[in-house]
Amino acid sequence: MYYALFKYICFTNLIKIIMSKSISFYKFNITSKAYILCCFLLILVNQVFAQDNCQRVPLAISYNFKPLLLNDTAYAYKVKHKIKFEVFKFYISKITLIKSNQVVWQEDNSFHLIDIEENDSSALCLEIPEDTEFDAIQFNLGIDSLTNVSGALGGDLDPTKGMYWTWQNGYVNFKLQGTSDLCNNPKNEFEYHLGGYLKPFNNLQHIKLMVSNSNKFSISFNMEQFVNGLDLENINHIMSPSAIATELAQSAAKCFSIK
Amino acid sequence: MIKYFFVLICLVLAQLIEQNDLFDTPKNWPAPFYDFEKNKLTKEKILLGRVLFYDPILSKDSTISCNSCHSPFSAFTHVDHALSHGIHDSVGTRNSPALMNLAWQKNFMWDGAINNLDMQSLAPISHPAEMGSSMNDVVIKLNRNKIYKKLFHNAFKDSIATGEHTLKAIAQFMLTLVSSNSKYDKVMSNKAEFTVQEQNGYQIFKDNCAACHTEPLFTNGEFANNGIDTILNDIGRLKVTQKKEDAYKFKVPTLRNIEFSYPYMHDGRFKKLNEVLNHYANGIKKSETLDAKLQNGIVLNSNQKVDLIAFLLTLSDKEFLFDKKFSYPMEEIKTLTLSH
Repeated sequence: MYYALFKYICFTNLIKIIMSKSISFYKFNITSKAYILCCFLLILVNQVFAQDNCQRVPLAISYNFKPLLLNDTAYAYKVKHKIKFEVFKFYISKITLIKSNQVVWQEDNSFHLIDIEENDSSALCLEIPEDTEFDAIQFNLGIDSLTNVSGALGGDLDPTKGMYWTWQNGYVNFKLQGTSDLCNNPKNEFEYHLGGYLKPFNNLQHIKLMVSNSNKFSISFNMEQFVNGLDLENINHIMSPSAIATELAQSAAKCFSIK
Repeated sequence: MIKYFFVLICLVLAQLIEQNDLFDTPKNWPAPFYDFEKNKLTKEKILLGRVLFYDPILSKDSTISCNSCHSPFSAFTHVDHALSHGIHDSVGTRNSPALMNLAWQKNFMWDGAINNLDMQSLAPISHPAEMGSSMNDVVIKLNRNKIYKKLFHNAFKDSIATGEHTLKAIAQFMLTLVSSNSKYDKVMSNKAEFTVQEQNGYQIFKDNCAACHTEPLFTNGEFANNGIDTILNDIGRLKVTQKKEDAYKFKVPTLRNIEFSYPYMHDGRFKKLNEVLNHYANGIKKSETLDAKLQNGIVLNSNQKVDLIAFLLTLSDKEFLFDKKFSYPMEEIKTLTLSH
């Protein structure tokens, strides 16, 4: 808050000086030069500090009450079987805070690619204004239909992230890949690419979770619950929008909770 | 103060003039569908897109460029290839579409699988039978290249290539591929006249073909089953929409530059326009999704066929086919290399 005000003052002063004098910098006298440099410096300092100006909401992905590990870790699955995970990525978007069913804060440009292999995916950095009170958090699992038809986008939505389907429309909302002896195919693989924004297979899931302590809370995803609901033996390759893909996205949405 | 205001106005005007210079909607055409606001054309971005279009760096083994299957002299399709081949001579299942007037197109590919021109190039880049690469690999390769650093910097004020910027630049070049200077266009603006035969052909066209191949783009942008069987078991639009009523439907292609964009149909089965007309006369195979307008075929006598073809040839736009601003940017690359 103070930084924003500060930045505003610096910036307006800067503009005033430039407007009152000539455009060229060398014509300024020494005091105004120093003043301008100071303003620039302060804006710079402000930018550096601004990055930390957010509330970290940890995002915990767990299996059997422990943080989920990829690749070599084999987990016990449905009593007699094993399961390994190789890729786990999903999109969280349109994060909104709610107080008594009223929206109190909504994140701008709210798209987060959560990739378990990336360190910065272990928490969401949300720039919530300091004194915001809320009792629930709302977000989407996946990407909305408007964004899906908006052409090439950058940041977490950049197609280099491997979350845009190349032979058809739209983003993959949720991607899980791995192996299990239960999978009835030569390499015992499973691949779930859940997405789709067109009716009847709009895959986007709206999630609302109640938050009891708004100062300190974390979002968790229970992988064990998700895979227990799968039929790994018969349905282990989903690569396009379908009724089953939507069903699985619904079941994934239920695996989120607040801790 | 007034001086600054004046300068500002001039800058805005200059920007507007440049935009018009880079892309012009031909007279009496509908407004383009592409949202230029989200990807404003600039000379530098178009140049970057044009360099990328001709560069095999986009394919896995650096052998195939966009231009391999979309050459300018064939209206940006693969001349004489029913099905195009990609890396390691692998063959796909569909004929490579001619590229022109893409700003007016709502969706891309024969089945409309792609919803935005920006995302179109992702498909061939990633398809194992086409370029067999991935956007991530492409960006890594581009970032190793000094000339691209410069091109990206000039275009986006950022020398680092990203997926977004790469795709937007290619889209910008493709948007400039506007064909609107055929004899037909000149006749429509009273700068030329049809011969008697062409005029007869135009009437036959309007009576029999224009419902789907609507002027001035010569496509209505819809999907239709034109009674072709399925040699390659291609179910068409059904694959995208998963709706039964879309089985065997393919995009209605434009007829502009049809003289040069052979072979025809989604699988390139017909080499000559005559074969296409014979198909519509007596080759149509009935099925549940066959277009209502084709239930009885389009029966023309041989004179009518000759006249119709004479008209179709007036859709050739040689200025477009041999326009230097669409060719490999040899001069520009030379300048960039030297200045480096």
